[in-house]
This record gives sequence, structure tokens and C-alpha cells, in this order.
Amino acid sequence: MSRADAMVRLAGAFARHELRRRLRRLPRGGGRRLLEMYAADNLRPLTAAERELLPAASACINCGLCALVAARVSGLRPADLAAAYLRDYPRLPAAASDLVGDSPSGLAEAAAACPVGVPLGGVLVMIRRLATA
Amino acid sequence: MIVIGGGVTGAGVARDLALRGVSVLLLEKNDWGAGTSGSSTWMIHGGLRYLEYDWQTTRLSCEDAGHIVEIARHLVHRVLFLIPVLPDDPHGIEQIETVMEVYDRYQPLKHAHPHLRLNAEELLHVEPGLARDLVGGVTVEEWGVDPHRLTWANVLDAVEHGARALNHARVTSLVRDGAQVIGARYARDGTEVEARARVVINAAGPWSPEVAAMAGQEVRLRPAKGIHLVYDRRLSNFVISTEAVDGRDILLVPHGPITVLGTTDDDFFGDLDDVEVTADEVDYLLQAVARVFPAIQRLRPVRATTGVRPTLYEWRPNEDRLSRRHELFEHPHAPGLLTITGGKLSMYRLMAEETADAACRRLGVQARSQTKQARLPGSESEAPAAGELAREHRVTALAATNVLRRHGCRAGAVLEDPRHGRLACRCEHLPEADLAHAARHEQARSLADAFRRVGLAAGPCAGAACIDRAAQVIGRELGWSASQQVEAAREFLLGAWLGRAPLLERRGWAQEEMAYAARRGYAS
Repeated sequence: MSRADAMVRLAGAFARHELRRRLRRLPRGGGRRLLEMYAADNLRPLTAAERELLPAASACINCGLCALVAARVSGLRPADLAAAYLRDYPRLPAAASDLVGDSPSGLAEAAAACPVGVPLGGVLVMIRRLATA
Repeated sequence: MIVIGGGVTGAGVARDLALRGVSVLLLEKNDWGAGTSGSSTWMIHGGLRYLEYDWQTTRLSCEDAGHIVEIARHLVHRVLFLIPVLPDDPHGIEQIETVMEVYDRYQPLKHAHPHLRLNAEELLHVEPGLARDLVGGVTVEEWGVDPHRLTWANVLDAVEHGARALNHARVTSLVRDGAQVIGARYARDGTEVEARARVVINAAGPWSPEVAAMAGQEVRLRPAKGIHLVYDRRLSNFVISTEAVDGRDILLVPHGPITVLGTTDDDFFGDLDDVEVTADEVDYLLQAVARVFPAIQRLRPVRATTGVRPTLYEWRPNEDRLSRRHELFEHPHAPGLLTITGGKLSMYRLMAEETADAACRRLGVQARSQTKQARLPGSESEAPAAGELAREHRVTALAATNVLRRHGCRAGAVLEDPRHGRLACRCEHLPEADLAHAARHEQARSLADAFRRVGLAAGPCAGAACIDRAAQVIGRELGWSASQQVEAAREFLLGAWLGRAPLLERRGWAQEEMAYAARRGYAS
């Protein structure tokens, strides 16, 4: 098939598309179907607040200073939340068992001690929401 | 036979031949997948762009992507593109959706879903970081893959079927008897070795003209440089597709715990072993993505990667319009030599099959390729659940998911070593057992090899916090002395600088301070 043939076939496809659109035969409501179709892959949206939080969370360099201030979260260092757990949301439901238990005291103080300003309390809330299957 | 080049194509050729029962020696001058394969956009795609040129190529590409998805189940994941349309885009949303409707006919070949159309409100709900002035958008689904693991899985399967595979073995010359190519000489660990073969296959990617020239043969390429920026985390659950200032497609692609932004595509005339990233290239990519995803300007890239594509030679078309087709050179004036070059990651299996067919014809081997059906190591059976693996081997569930992603159904065997339950790299949640396994069973001979094999130091601290301990773990497996361990760590941190340097004006100083502090201890 030459490029000319390919373009002619695409033009035909466009004409059919336009006809179906004018007859209102094209499926819509893609947003809802997207969430259903990809739920099994855990491909879910971030909320606007989480999107806003992410740049500050991604500043973490895993220096470990926060571990000197805050208690561990179910055995994890506070830095692990931003440096490891908040990196791959679709796999968080499989790792939810690592995150059970009460929120530890001292996360606000640890965030204040962080040299790059990672909001550790907000990170824990975000991770726990994303870990909920 | 000898196969030269340990990218995904060379590894695929070696595997295909080994599965047919042919005796194979695979030689790679650096590490498996360290060249063009590793610097790709990490995708097995079906060739949407070929719909403008040749629908048959799209069908073939989707068909072969489907085979790869079936044989490498534990290595692939769905990537869903959001293609936002802005009011001033040259192609309206109806034209774009038409192309997706055509592409939907081929999507079942690679086990992918059809496209969806979203209005502006739906798009902003799915990805709140998008620009506000959208017309709407469409989705398209492809498959993502870690090219380093895909390459290694092919090498491993070749070895398990009798091949011999050597990384860090640079071919220095071809052995010839008159015009006939009868073997290769290679240097490894300071010694030169001569190996004989009835057929020598040149699968050296952008270096293939150099290898062909050793037999007096010409292979003409038009090498194209491509860079990617790498972020240390998933920035979105969806691929964001946009256009650069010159109309080229640019992608922001999440892959597991990282995001890859790329790529550039420029003719390259320099030294293939010394390809640098420039600040202009970084700005070009960031400008393109900021148009539809403004948040990118506040996020921190951790490194840049660069590679050279072995594009086949054509005069006139600009780089982006060059065909990604592949070609097998039979070299009638140098019997015994075959060259396979061009192509793309998504077509590696088909390229390998065609090359192995040609080589087997020369030897009179009748066995046929099995690589459409034979699953790669780790995908042979169902993998255990992450929670079960974590409980059994006393590692965190996150670490267990990481090991499963790399090793599939073989993950349990990797974690069996009871001495290595602790984490070697906290950013990657990489168990020491996996790192030791890479050195013992996966030919990781340096810390940079371990970065490719198991993601060592790929996270936020870029190795500053973990590289000492990692050098000890690998050093113990490989018999390094204490000073060799220190030297290996120093070499890794300094080498990583080359990937970080072009990004330092972009929120990377804190990471750099950490790396500097770690490196200071190693200063001579």
C-alpha cells in the first residue's frame, strides 16, 4: 500500500466518522468508561489536591533527617513514604498491608525539619487513599 | 554461530537460535540493553503512526506486539495515552478520533482496549494537572516494558537453552579466510580471545557499520540521537501526549516507579560512545509538555538518558519522517556475515526470527522459530501474590511487588537466600537478596549493571544513601576487595553525574548536594 492509498482510506474513514457523528451514533461518556475499563489495572485519577501536593512530595531526596524526628509508620521510616511508596500508585493496593496502623506522632515536626519541605502528613494521607483498592 | 550486540535484537536472535538447538555465542561490549534498547521510550507499541503510510505495517506491528505481550506477561503493563486537544491544534478532535477508530481494528491483535473519547471536563477529572483550555481528547492504549529486563530475559532464556552469553566482551576484529568471515576476536578482562563460527551475525545497532567494516562491508545508517528526561516517580497514571514546538510528538510516560519524558530526534554525527545531553534539548522537551501539563515545571527530573537509533539511511526526509523499518543485509561479498539493523523495540522478536531464519538457511538447519509461543523466563506460570511472597520471605509487600515485576513466577527463588532480607536500596525497596541474585545469576559485574538489572539507585537519592552497602553486597558475590568496593561506588556516583548535570538548573540541587556529600568521602 502506498502513502496515497493510506490517505485515501483515512479520508474514507473520516467521512464515515462524520456521518456517524451527525447521526449521533458515536459512543460518548468516555470518562466513566475509562474508570471502569482500567480499574483492574489500578489506573485511577489523582484528585486535584493530590496533584497539587505531588511537586512538593517529589522533592524528597531520602536524606533521612525526618527519621530523627518522627516515629516509624508500621515499621517504615517517614522518608520511605515519599521516597518509595509514593512512586508507583497502581501497586499500592498490593502493598497496603505495609501501611496499616495509626498515624504516628511527629510527622508535622518531621516535615518542619525536612530540608526540601516534603509535606509528610499529606503524603501519608495520599498513600493510604491510593492503597485502597 | 556468533551474535555481536547484546541489545534486545541481538539477545532475541541468540534466543531464537538457541531454542532451535543451534550453538550460539552472544557478545556485548558493554552490558545487556545498555545502548539503544535501554534508552528507548520503554514501549511495545503497535505503530499508530504507520496508518499514514502503510496499514499493513500497523497490522504486522500490532500482531508482533501481541506475541511479545503473551511471552513476557510479567514484564509488560498497560499504558493508557491521554491525547488532549487544544483549540489551536492543527488536527481537530474529529480527525484524531477517526485515526483512533481505524487503529481500534488492530488493537485486539495486541490484547488492547479500543479508544475512548473524553470531553474537557472528563479529561480534567482523569488528570487534573492538564491545561484548562482543552477542547477534549481521546485515549489510546499501548504496552509498556522495561527494556533492560526484556533484553536480559532473552539472554537468560538463550543461556538456559545452551547459548554462551558474555557481556563486557568487545569485538576487536572479525576472523576471515579470504573474503569468508569465520569468527570473531573479542577482548574481555584484559585478554583477547578468538572464537570460530560458521555464521557471524552483526546486531550491533548503531555500531553495526563499524562491525561490518571489519569485513570490508558497508552498512549505511542515518543515526538519530534521542534523549529522555527521567523523573523518580509516577507523575500521572496516564501517558500524556503532546506536540513540540516543531510539531513532533512528545510523550510523558509512566513506567512503574519512574516517568520517562521524550524524545528528541536529531541526526547524529559524533562519537557513538560519547553522546551528551544538552540544556537546549532539555528545554525543548519541557516546553512541549508544559503546554498541556503545566505542573511539569514544578517537578524534579533526576537524570537524563541518551541513545542513538540505528535508522536506515535515506536522504532528504527530516528525522521524524524517517522509516523505522528494519533490513537484513546478506553481504554476498563477505560470506559468513549477516547484519540486521534498523527497526524498533516493538519489532525485535520479528527481526530476530527473520535473522535466525536466514542464518539457519545457510547452515541447513530445518528447525523453526518458537519465539511466538515460548514464554520468557518468569512468565512460564502464574506468579504468587505479593502479600503471600512478602509473608513467606519476611520482606515488605512493596519489596515483594518489585521482585515480582522483575522475576514473575521465579520471584520466590530469588528471595530464598535468608541472609538478604534487609533492603539494599530504600528508594527502590530493593531487597539485598535481589541485588545479590543479580550479581550471582544475572551477570551484573558493576553497580551500573545492577542499576539496569534491578533498578539500584534509580530513585530520589540517586545512590547517595545506598551505594556503599550495595557495593558490599555485590562485592561479596564477585570477590571484590574493600578498596575495589570503594572504587566501584565512587565510579558509579561519578558516572551518574553525566546524566544529572544537564538538569541541575531544574530543581536538582538538593539531590546534588547529597551526592556530593557521599562522593566527598571517596575523593582521592
